[in-house]
Amino acid sequence: MALNALELIYKRLRERPQELVEARANGAKVVGFQAYNLPEEVIYALGLIPVRLGSGGDGDLVEVGGRYISTKNCVYVRSTVGLFAENTDPYIVNSDIVAFDATCLQTFRTAEVVQYYFNREVIILGVPRNFYLQEAHTYFAAELRHFVSRLEAISGVTLTRERLADSIALYNGIRDAIVRIYPYQATKNPAISWEQVFDVIQAGYVLDRREYLGLLESLLAELVQQRGAPVIGGEDDEARIFISGSTIPPGDKKLISIMQELGGRIVGDDLWSGLIPYVDVQIEDATLEALASAYLNRTPHGALPYLELATDRRIKRLKELITTFKANGVIYHTLRYCDPYTFKAKETKDILEKEGIPLLELHTEYAGSDFEAIRTRVEAFVEMVKLRAESEEAA
Amino acid sequence: MSAVPQYITRSSVSDTAEYFRYPDEVREQFIATDDIEFRDGSRVTSLEVWDYLTQVGPVKYPNLYDNSSLYTGRLSHDVTFAFNLKNAYLSMTMHERMTKAKAQGRPIVFVQGGQSVDPYYAAGAVALRPASTGSWARGQREGLTRNQDELESRSDKQKAYNAISFEVCNSAGYEHIQEGNVPADMVAPYTALRCSDVSYGTEAHRHGPRAKEVKLLLVDYPLDHQRDKEWAIRYFADNLHRLTRSIDEQTGRKTTDDDLAREIKLHNEGRRLAIEIADLWWSADLAPTNGRDRRSLFLLGGMETHGDPVASLSLLREARRDIEKRVRQGHRTEGVLDNAARLFVCGSCVFPNDLRTEEAGGIIVGNDNHWSDITTLVNEDGDPYYELARAVLSYPYEQPLKERAGWTVDQIRKSRTDGVLFLYKWGCNTQSAIARLLVDEIKAQTGIPTIIIEDDMTRTQTEQLQNRVNSFIEMVS
Ligand code: SF4
Ligand code: SF4
Repeated sequence: MALNALELIYKRLRERPQELVEARANGAKVVGFQAYNLPEEVIYALGLIPVRLGSGGDGDLVEVGGRYISTKNCVYVRSTVGLFAENTDPYIVNSDIVAFDATCLQTFRTAEVVQYYFNREVIILGVPRNFYLQEAHTYFAAELRHFVSRLEAISGVTLTRERLADSIALYNGIRDAIVRIYPYQATKNPAISWEQVFDVIQAGYVLDRREYLGLLESLLAELVQQRGAPVIGGEDDEARIFISGSTIPPGDKKLISIMQELGGRIVGDDLWSGLIPYVDVQIEDATLEALASAYLNRTPHGALPYLELATDRRIKRLKELITTFKANGVIYHTLRYCDPYTFKAKETKDILEKEGIPLLELHTEYAGSDFEAIRTRVEAFVEMVKLRAESEEAA
Repeated sequence: MSAVPQYITRSSVSDTAEYFRYPDEVREQFIATDDIEFRDGSRVTSLEVWDYLTQVGPVKYPNLYDNSSLYTGRLSHDVTFAFNLKNAYLSMTMHERMTKAKAQGRPIVFVQGGQSVDPYYAAGAVALRPASTGSWARGQREGLTRNQDELESRSDKQKAYNAISFEVCNSAGYEHIQEGNVPADMVAPYTALRCSDVSYGTEAHRHGPRAKEVKLLLVDYPLDHQRDKEWAIRYFADNLHRLTRSIDEQTGRKTTDDDLAREIKLHNEGRRLAIEIADLWWSADLAPTNGRDRRSLFLLGGMETHGDPVASLSLLREARRDIEKRVRQGHRTEGVLDNAARLFVCGSCVFPNDLRTEEAGGIIVGNDNHWSDITTLVNEDGDPYYELARAVLSYPYEQPLKERAGWTVDQIRKSRTDGVLFLYKWGCNTQSAIARLLVDEIKAQTGIPTIIIEDDMTRTQTEQLQNRVNSFIEMVS
């Protein structure tokens, strides 16, 4: 049965660029950003329009970007630089200010490149690497305060407690709705696929956030109406694949389409372009300190090193999600030169192997040249996972 | 073919390599030079250094005496420059000296290159950067030819690739520390600064075979206008406190503010000497040393090369006098053309072969990496943690592009550079990312020709790199 809210989300996505043009003509300001630990709440609270920038899958953009940033940078940031160089993407064109964070050093460098070559007004939010220490929280809160003061100057609005509280409530609503919608894709004969949920999540990068919450709530209501509470599970011999690793931004369909073609089913992810930023967010108070701490307390991004394996929350969360979504294989997707995730591939594989969960690392980029090679490896992996599932069932 | 100088020998008929020997004619002059003092109060005389270099070294480390001009690490032939011999001695004795320091109860801490090491020594530890860690590990293998040594090193690195990823550039010494070749007690570098890989390399140690024995810590270097942000300085100062406390847990003693203040003074002396040496070197019409010795000399100001700042200081003090004398006398350095094209190297961790560069008519007169930290003096008044943090966050190499470029242009002007090379390694993301930016800005400010060259990680394509450097020399000459 069709999901009306889903159709509406796709429709509103198509309409959004023109809407932004009109909003700007009426005096609104757009903050385009690319970041992993930037509390969007503050942008919205100041009456600015937050738009997450970046796309993947386009080898030409990577080429163009590589003329400014190096070919030894990940394709995601090269592609981002390419977007600025071409300046035709409606979200890039309509960004009045561009913000980046320093979670990943390559994003930090992207900010420098964009500022230098494309003459954009750029704001950077520093992010501590020792994110688990109290002093890091103090530092990050101060960085956030500094970031907000720059946005205040641009918007002419002062961030009050009420404004921040409203924005936090809105974003909490979005996170809650995503977390509740997400399990529906992992059920037997799902009403919505993982790929569609992924699209829904990424629609939230650009749509007006209040409208987006409404759309998510409608979608959830339809899912509840059609299916009741989600019961996670599938066919006995199903290859239920979990995706981990480097970001898969809008437009990067290589792995997803290969999976669809081969009949492997994605049932979960811990991607920063997927579910993970929306879980574990506990904002204790409507203050910048609380917001900063809540962001640092999330499951950490791979670019933030954590030095003790036994208590690493990234690994812990990965295992929990694999169990929750009843996945029986993991595809660990690494973009070439994405050190934050590439350096962890072998370790993650070893850890999951001990738990009896097979992991396939796919090291790739946006060019189509490795499509066949990846297809062959995914095919063999999906087959292996299916066989294991069947034999486990038989046992 | 040119005649082989009398101090070049072959060790056996089956060995085709030519070996360098320190010529007897310079012995008398050399043994009259200063002793080297060490941190533990011991000293070695120049005579002992001479005997080591002429008797022990060639047997233990024939690889280091390989005289091929293709060998980037070839011993410098400037045998009348005492610094050069003593510096070689300190490199060759790394294994013995570090083993002794460890036995004396000094924690061995892995750090990264291009960072200050004052707080590590203040807390009684020895700070070793990647190259020194490698040199300790290599020092344990005796009697190898250069090819054998290079093969061993490559197979060491392979261990890091296998355990982490083949895209690893800086593995934070994983292949030595986790394999147990280097008995490091801690891996505790400054993060983020300069290098994209060191934080991830440090994290990788958590799954190594010695994970339980080796303590891990990151001294977190905040980014983005950090120098101008009070909260960033405080945060970094907190990290420095955490570092010394952590070393204290190993030594059982308490590092005081005075300990750090004293250490800062000592390291400032090294930094000052290096700056003075650079000013002298750059002021000379004729290069007072070859490029290789210049680099080692400037680098020593960071006090991180030999695992012993006191020893580094004693070399620097003497070298300062010798350079001044050479400049005064208009010393002409063997192998360097009077009108050599003066090159400045930007970027991290790659260097062309100095000797081949000089053969092609150029000379490398400066570099930004491993220099920006040395040119940053620490204020000796006030809270030493705060002042150190303020200085470290001011390293020009780590500032926003325009400021970094401004400082680099300053160095380029002072050194009267004719051409700028930006070099980076294949796996290096953070430096490569701004290669074009930096050279474009330098070009815009100076009009000097620039070139960007990528080096492969395994150093199997050094010939290609050198060819490009040589054509660049032709172009700027
Ligand atoms: S985390 Fe990886 S994919 Fe994301 S910007 Fe950094 S290097 Fe690129
Ligand atoms: S080349 Fe780059 S990544 Fe490698 S060690 Fe140097 S700074 Fe780090």
